[in-house]
Amino acid sequence: MIKRRRKKDFGDFESPDKEKRRIRFDFILFFLALAVSSFGVLMIYSATRETLPGGVTDPQYYLKRQAIWLAAGIVICVAVQFINYRKIQRYWWLIFIIGISFLAAVSLFGYEVHGSKSWIDLKFFTIQPSEFSKVFMVISLAAVMSKWKGEKVYQVTFKKVAISSTVALIFVILVLLEPDYGTALMYFIAYLGLLFLSGANFLYLLSILGLTAGGFFVALKAGLIKQYQLDRILVFLKPDVSSEGAGYNLYQSKLAIGSGDFLGKGLFLGKQTNLSYVPAHHTDFIFSVIGEELGFLGAVLVLLVFGVIVWRCFYIASNSSDSFGMLLSSGIGFIILSQVVINIGMTIGLMPIIGIPLPFLSSGGSSLISMFLGIGLVENVYIWKEVRKDYEIAYQEFK
Amino acid sequence: MGSNIKIRFRIILYLLVMILIVLILRLYFLQIMSGELYAELASKNITREKTVAAPRGNIYDQNGKLIVGSVPVTAVAVEPHIVLKNEDVMKALSDCLDMSYKDIKEKLEKSDVSYIDRVILKKDIDAATMIYLKENSSNLPGVEVVDVYWRVYNFGVLASHLLGYTGEITEDMLKSEKYGDGYEGGDQVGLTGLEETYESVLKGKKGKIVYEVDPLGRPVNILEETSPTCGNDLYLTIDIDLQQFVEKILYQSILGVRQKKIKNTDECYNVPGGAVVVLNPQNGQILAMASYPTFNPELFVGGISQNDWDNLNDPENYYPLNNRAVMSFFPGSAIKIVTAYAGLAEDIISERGRLNCAGVWLGLGKDFPKSCWSSHGSLDIRGAIKNSCDIYFYQVGYGLYTKLDNMEELLQKYLRIFGFGSLTGIDLPHEDKGLVADKEWKKDYFKDQAGYSVWFPGDTVNMAIGQGDLLVTPLQMAQAFSILSNRGIQYTPYIAKEIRDIEGNLFVDNSREEYQDLKLNEYFIEIIEDGLVQVVGPGGTAATAFRNFPLDEIPVAAKTGTAEFYGRQDYAWFASYAPVGSPEYVVVVMLEEAGSGGSNAAPIVEKIYRYLFNID
Repeated sequence: MIKRRRKKDFGDFESPDKEKRRIRFDFILFFLALAVSSFGVLMIYSATRETLPGGVTDPQYYLKRQAIWLAAGIVICVAVQFINYRKIQRYWWLIFIIGISFLAAVSLFGYEVHGSKSWIDLKFFTIQPSEFSKVFMVISLAAVMSKWKGEKVYQVTFKKVAISSTVALIFVILVLLEPDYGTALMYFIAYLGLLFLSGANFLYLLSILGLTAGGFFVALKAGLIKQYQLDRILVFLKPDVSSEGAGYNLYQSKLAIGSGDFLGKGLFLGKQTNLSYVPAHHTDFIFSVIGEELGFLGAVLVLLVFGVIVWRCFYIASNSSDSFGMLLSSGIGFIILSQVVINIGMTIGLMPIIGIPLPFLSSGGSSLISMFLGIGLVENVYIWKEVRKDYEIAYQEFK
Repeated sequence: MGSNIKIRFRIILYLLVMILIVLILRLYFLQIMSGELYAELASKNITREKTVAAPRGNIYDQNGKLIVGSVPVTAVAVEPHIVLKNEDVMKALSDCLDMSYKDIKEKLEKSDVSYIDRVILKKDIDAATMIYLKENSSNLPGVEVVDVYWRVYNFGVLASHLLGYTGEITEDMLKSEKYGDGYEGGDQVGLTGLEETYESVLKGKKGKIVYEVDPLGRPVNILEETSPTCGNDLYLTIDIDLQQFVEKILYQSILGVRQKKIKNTDECYNVPGGAVVVLNPQNGQILAMASYPTFNPELFVGGISQNDWDNLNDPENYYPLNNRAVMSFFPGSAIKIVTAYAGLAEDIISERGRLNCAGVWLGLGKDFPKSCWSSHGSLDIRGAIKNSCDIYFYQVGYGLYTKLDNMEELLQKYLRIFGFGSLTGIDLPHEDKGLVADKEWKKDYFKDQAGYSVWFPGDTVNMAIGQGDLLVTPLQMAQAFSILSNRGIQYTPYIAKEIRDIEGNLFVDNSREEYQDLKLNEYFIEIIEDGLVQVVGPGGTAATAFRNFPLDEIPVAAKTGTAEFYGRQDYAWFASYAPVGSPEYVVVVMLEEAGSGGSNAAPIVEKIYRYLFNID
């Protein structure tokens, strides 16, 4: 065994000589995620117990499904802890390939729901690969942007920016092909956030923004984005949004949330949502159910819980022992944050209506499981923070 | 980690807090500040209100016989704006209602207007269809099975002009103040007759159901329910048996007159129509009122077909919808009772004064000879009435004109006293007020033809025998005879005497006790009455018709009328009351283009009296 001086940079892990390791686990993050997901199961039950889609007779159908997925999510979250996240960094290319082949598979074998090809039918269940791919993209980006082998000081070079932006662009283009504008926007925000936190020069950030704006303009001019699609997306900007056509969803959602008042109409008592006036009220518009049934109080509480979850991700990131862990944890934080802002913003008329799920709350296995995978990775960064030594040894051996 | 990165983490943390603040502020605005507004919008979004039809009140005759009733009928109502968007629903309706898809679509498109929420697509559906529609209601958004009320006419076409008919309310009516409250598109309202006059009494109060719907318009939950209140019932002064007899006799007589040839020609009488009014002079109650040709009010139940409507408005059918009892015509000699009274009252003639009728009257000068229909010889007032001598009444008319050089228009004054030229005030809509022409009227009427706009003595003279610009309704004539029989007491004629609620409790007593004393000279009236009695007696103008009538038991006072109508055949009138002394009935008959009143209108009245007084 080679003893190495611990570097000040890498935190306060205890002596490697000690056999016993203190169990470190961020209970705040895990239990808040668990709490908000369980709450989600309840709200999904409230939203679906009366309005059942064709063929479904069990009012607890969605409740049960979501509960099973939650269990699966917890299992995955725990299982992830047995691998040191640092090992993942080395195999990022594998994860990158899995991530993009998932998305490519959707384009090839996927089927359409609401005009977007984002689902794959696996006979027994369907999955939504773009949900998992967001985690894979974060891993890939964190690996590419972190300190490279042989690099003496961590810094973001032009090379890193070029490679990472290419990686991000591949993911974004693949989801745009489905097309899934919401997810693409979320990927884009996550990448920008990572670039910002990596300490990259502002020039890089500005060029990325400029290039994106230019690309968007070209796509609009070239007819890749149709005017009506743009109108539909921008309908939220009109204050007197109509109750018909493109504004219908937003109007109904605002009615639901607005009519909730301070304390809400009570659990299970949301008329707007229970009578299916709000579309997709158990998936993308689950926040409307919360707003209507639990009022301002419930909605703000949910927002604050999300705030703490995101804060924990960034907290763990800022205290991680290496740049990969920092970026990985931040990436997950950005994914959750951007989804919360886009989804809730959409239900209250601050964001365009682009269907993306609300993390932990929306009904759907892919979203829930991938979120717990993300939480698992953040916990992993926290847990394995001290055992750099093992990693170093392994790294040496590998060499 | 570099300090640069630490600062950037801090920036991200601030950003997170800011984002949360923005979202919470937005929620505050939506839920706390606009919460009430959104709650109201949301409840409008979800709740629907529909009305439940109230059964329309019944109409009974004076003896409590049901004439018009209401029966519930199962009907299919649809909301056009919902169903038009859904082809499957229209197809399903087409299959189960046995209507073509095109018909359904057309009907709905026609009704897809802002003022109609629901439209009745088909009425009187059978039980199987009803069950099918109810069972499949969740797949047929916007379609509903409802009860509506149909009018049933126990006596068919009888009294149809009095009763009127109901029909769907029009957009203009909905916009008017009268129908502003409580009505909605698709409602049935009284459009003519008593149904129109007593709409507010008969209609009842609709019930209301407030319920919640899902986004497809399917009801999920009832919040509030008020049941409808039945309309009140109407009890008429009409004796439906008498009405039946009168209508039958009018119809038969018209057919009979149509067979008759006009004297010295090969032409038959046209008799396109006629009217009978029977009223009680003691209180103004209308006992029977008939108009021919008539129509079947059942045609209007559930909406009249275009074909039927065209038939009813075809001139070839002589406009059966018109109630001729309240339409105005030239009265002919029947008006002479007023001329006679005016002459006596204004001292133009005296009881004993006689005049020689040589067949021609030159009172207006040699250039304007006026002839009588016969040469009567020497006549007093009684004889003039008995024989309906035109020359006698020309002289009276001329006297009335010259007395004050027509400054006061004396003849017109007495015509108005007897109720001509104004509405009688009967509780029927669309009553004609007729015309009593005077200088003012003529000036206005011929304002573009200066030569005709002057009132000539000849105008008054013509009017004195019921020609010229004088139009009266059979009802006005009946009222005038009623005044005469009452020695100057005038009652307003009416048809509906009581309004009772569904349990039969008297709700409103509509009978009119009040009368107006016209302060007429009873002696003059008796002189005229003497003449009127002689009309039906031997040698009178209606002697033939009454030759077998027991006049000694039931003395009848009557006046014939044969009004000339330029370009048409003569209009026959017969106005009467009986028994003289204690009058119980006034009977007036008017036949269009039927020749002489004495020969063709009088027999109808004679038969009605036989019926009324139970004479075989």
